[in-house]
Formats: sequence, C-alpha cells, structure tokens
Amino acid sequence: MDVWNYLEYAAWALSALVAVVMLLDMFRIDTTYDDELLTSSREGELELAQERHEL
Amino acid sequence: MAYQPPKQGIAGQIIDVFVLLVLTVGALYLPLYLGLAGAAKTPATIENPTWEALGQNAAEQQQWAALGYADPASANEIITARFDYTFSWTALIVMIVAVVGYFVLVVRLSQKEYREVIAERFGDSKS
Amino acid sequence: MSDTTATTAPERLGLLRVLGPGHVWALGVGIVLVGEYMGWNFSVGKGGMIAGLVACWVAGLLYTCVAMIDSEVTSTVAAAGGQYAQAKHIVGPLMAFNVGLFLVMAYTMLEAANAITIGFLLDTVAGMFGHTGLNQKPFIILTILSLAWLNYRGVLASLSFNFVITAFAFVAIILLFFAVQFGVSAVPLDFSAVTNDPLPYGWLGIVAALHFGLWYYLGIEGTCQAAEEVRSPARSLPFGTMAGIMTLLIAATLTWYVCSGLIPWEYLGNSGTPLFDAARVTGNSGLMVLLFIGTAFATTASANGCINDASRAWFSMGRDRYLPSWFGAVHPHYRTPYRSIVFLVPIALIFALGAPLDQVITFSILSGLLGYTFMTFNMVMFRRKWPLGTIKRGYVHPWHPLPALILLILCGATYFAVFLGYGTQLIAMLSFYIIASLWFHFWRYRFVRRGEQFTMPWPRPLGY
Repeated sequence: MDVWNYLEYAAWALSALVAVVMLLDMFRIDTTYDDELLTSSREGELELAQERHEL
Repeated sequence: MAYQPPKQGIAGQIIDVFVLLVLTVGALYLPLYLGLAGAAKTPATIENPTWEALGQNAAEQQQWAALGYADPASANEIITARFDYTFSWTALIVMIVAVVGYFVLVVRLSQKEYREVIAERFGDSKS
Repeated sequence: MSDTTATTAPERLGLLRVLGPGHVWALGVGIVLVGEYMGWNFSVGKGGMIAGLVACWVAGLLYTCVAMIDSEVTSTVAAAGGQYAQAKHIVGPLMAFNVGLFLVMAYTMLEAANAITIGFLLDTVAGMFGHTGLNQKPFIILTILSLAWLNYRGVLASLSFNFVITAFAFVAIILLFFAVQFGVSAVPLDFSAVTNDPLPYGWLGIVAALHFGLWYYLGIEGTCQAAEEVRSPARSLPFGTMAGIMTLLIAATLTWYVCSGLIPWEYLGNSGTPLFDAARVTGNSGLMVLLFIGTAFATTASANGCINDASRAWFSMGRDRYLPSWFGAVHPHYRTPYRSIVFLVPIALIFALGAPLDQVITFSILSGLLGYTFMTFNMVMFRRKWPLGTIKRGYVHPWHPLPALILLILCGATYFAVFLGYGTQLIAMLSFYIIASLWFHFWRYRFVRRGEQFTMPWPRPLGY
C-alpha cells in the first residue's frame, strides 16, 4: 500500500459521493416541482424579447 | 389545422430512449467485438537491431533514451511498425455510395417534413 | 450567481443568460485545446512528420471555413443546440435529428477520450514514481462525475472554471516552445527525419493524416451550443469562435514544432500524451510539472465543455420532443438541463471504460465530420431560402459559396482518410445513423408538434 493506492480509494469514494449527491438532488427536484414547470422552457423565447430579426 | 401529436406515456418514453441507447452502443461495440475495428500497425522487426540499422541518428538516440527506451531492441517494434494502406476499389465505392446515399436519404425525408412545418407555421397557401 | 429572469414570466423556466465572449472563447478553445495535448499525433503515425504538419494546416483551413459558415448562421439562429436548431430551421426535422445525434456523439466520445487520457496520464506519472499497475478506473469515473456535477450546478461557474484552466494550458504550450527555443532542453531538437524520411507512406500518407489532423481543432463549432446562455449571441458568438480558431492555429503549429523536434516520429505517432512526453525528453523537471498540469487541465477543460455541449444538444431535442420530453427539463435553481446532464454520464462511462482511445477518437471525428458535411449544404440552403437582406444577420461571411465549396472538398478528402484504416467504423457509424433516421422518420416524429418547432421570427422561406 503506497500513496497511489490511497488515491485510488479516495477517487472511488469521491465518485460515489458525487453520484449520490447529484442523484439525490435530481430526485428531490423531480418530486418537489411539477413536470409541466420543469419542461416549460421554449426555444427562441428570449430572442423574441431581446433581438428583433427585422431590418 | 395544426397537427396534434399523441401524448406519449412514461413507458413509451423509456422504450424510445432504450432503443437509441442500444443502437449507439451497438454501433460502437459491434466492430470491436467482431474484431473488424481499426487499423492495427504491423511491426516488421529486423534482426539484431542497432540504432543505425533502425535509422536513428545521435540526437534521436538521446530522445529514445529520455523516453525510457535504452537499447535498440526495445524500440524495434515501435520503429518498424507500419500501417497497411492497400485498399480495394470496391470497398471505396461502397463507402462513397453509403455516404452520399445517407445524406440524400436524410435531406429527402427532411424536405418532406419541412414542407409540412412551413405549411403549418405560415399557413397553407403561398402568396 | 443571481437569478436574472426579469424578461420571462415567472411560471416559465429558461436557461440563464449570463455568459460573455470570454466564456465563449473558453468553451470553444477549452474543448479543443486538448487536441494539442493528445490525439493529433496519431496523424504523424498515419503519414509521417511532414504529413502531420500539412494535415495541421489543411485541417486549419477546413475549420476556418467551418467557423465562417457557422458564425453567420449562428449569429442568426441563436438557440441552445446550435447546429441542431440551424438544421431544424433550414433543412428539416430529420436532418436536425441527425445533427443533434452528431453533436451528442461527437462530444460524448470526446469526453470519454479525455477521461481515458487523464487515467493514462496518472498511470504514467505513477510509473515515474515507481508505482506500476495503477487502477485507472476510479480516476476516469471521478473525472466524468465531478465535471457532470459542476455542469449540473450552473453554467457560469463551469465556464469560468474552464476559462482559467484553458488559459493555463495554452500558456503552458507557449512556455514550452520558448523554453525549448532558448535551449532548456538537455536533448537537441532534431528534424532530420523531415529530410531523411519525409513521407514514409508517400503522398497517400498526407491524405491519411488528415483523419487525425481534424483533432487539432475538433469541437470549436461547439461555441454555438451556448447561444441561449450568452448575453448578446449575435456579437459574442462570432467573435469568440474566430478568436478561438486563431488561438488554435498558433497552438497547433507550436505543438507540431516542439513535439516533432523532440520526439522520434515513430514514437510520436503512438504517444498517448505527446506534449508531456516532449517535456519528459527535455529532462527539465519544471517543464515536466508544467506540461503535466497543462495536460490534466486541457483534458479537464475539454471534458467539461463536452458535457456542457452534449447536454445542451440532448436537452434541445427533448424540448422539441425529438426525444422524450422528459429530457427537456430545466433545473429550477441552477437553470441547467440537469436531466440531460445526468443521463449522459453513464453513456460517457461506457465508452471511457470499455473502448480503446483511437477508436473512441475515430467515432468522435466521424460524427464531427458528418456535421461539417451538413454545414456545406446547410449554408447554401440558408442563403437561398433567406437571401441577404431578408432577415437580420449578426455576421455575414465573405466569398460565399467558396468556403462551403472548400469545406465540402476537404470533407471528401477526410472521409477517404478515415476510410484508409478505419473503413469498418465508417460503415458501422453510417449504418447507425441510417437506422436511427428511419426510426425517427417512421416512428418518433409522430410525437413532434409540426409548426411549433419553427421558433425563429423569420418570414416564410423562399420557394416554400
């Protein structure tokens, strides 16, 4: 066992931690908010507000 | 009259994603599994290699040493490996037909769908 | 980061518009600069040193065309999904679906390649410290997961992070060049192979080298994925993209010079981390540390940008129901396409852990190449359906249709280059796209709203 072995374990542990945190947050958001709201983004909406495609 | 798409259930959504996933992984791993993937270089090692016989001058010998190849024998395979670029014209023609055919297919079908989109968005009659 | 959504109604969620031109540069160059740290050198392996340099410049020309064409269309069609949204408005839905897949595949494969390189780099360093047989898997997984998490948390943070590490990696290349120029290297620069063995494969080698020559620049077109998050897309996107191309042309030439001079081409053609190897040859430990950090940063920046781009493309397709609408979700706090980000993680992992590097790179290059081929006729159709003067363009590129034509010719040559040695992959990849296209046209398209996909406030296209 040298420092590289410890680094390997640390990397495994951190990976697992990040995965759990990310999945938990996704689960929390998906159960807290309505799907209609979450998927309410529309393409080009901001262009309409900000830029005019006219001459 | 706008086209009203059917609502897709959760099971259908999962199946659709799954289909795409299988296609993707299949396209990437099938050539690998069938052993068809990639051009492996074939080394043509020489007998009793010396740096000179391998065509490496003094500076290059120093470079090899710095990279961890102390003697010519260890670098023999790397130095003599070459790709094989002989190809069959049939295979080349098949490839050209496949690439061109693919783009023609996609643009053709897109065109059909695009007319529908424009008709619905801007109204049916032109002018 | 503040929630600036004053323009939209509160019951609608959108991506956050927070990025400036620097972020666009960081996104474009960040993805690509890694090409200088690994991958490009396979072109030397495919054709020799001269072929590597020719490929570098020819590919540079190809990408200049790409950037010019892309800047014009993007400055007009500014939507997340970039070329996907362009294809949808200009060519048609099925093309858009294909382009979306090109983007997702090219970036996810590139991300996998980056993670593989990080694992390999750590293994090399561990080996130098006398530890053999490092398990690369946890580091590959950690890289992909932590960058996904960074992207999940917000675009501003992840691209600001990218800006810093990309700038560092770029400076590292320049420092290496000057250090070698001023004689820091213990081993002399040697270009004798250029004269002794100029074209080991003859002229065919030059064409063959083009295949990996693309790798110097692949992904620069990803800048337009950020269109919905840039503060003024019509100006920032062309500017950031062009600045990116120039940065890359400089970096690519310097890289070729230093590496070809310090590393025997037979080794260079196989090397996993060429710039780091060049630093090893110099025997200067300061340079070694610098280029180790540079390589690690470049790969990280690239993987980070790839996650950003691939998820935007996937998200846009979900939003239009080209894919299940579930993917079209925006995170209510971070304003990121969080479901797409999470979904693409396991896919990247499958390839990073299971396939060899040159295969993964080839798949990425092929998807990119199909995308560039699309750009040529996309540009011609764009000018035809909406001639100059009918809509407002943020940028108009000169000499149309010359760039499109050059691009088409170079794409043709590159298909041939890939065909030399990697023909099976080309056919496998095409079969994939053909089957996926048929699946989309005959099944999936029924769930798509027809008129609503066309979101740009443009007049009716000419001829329809």
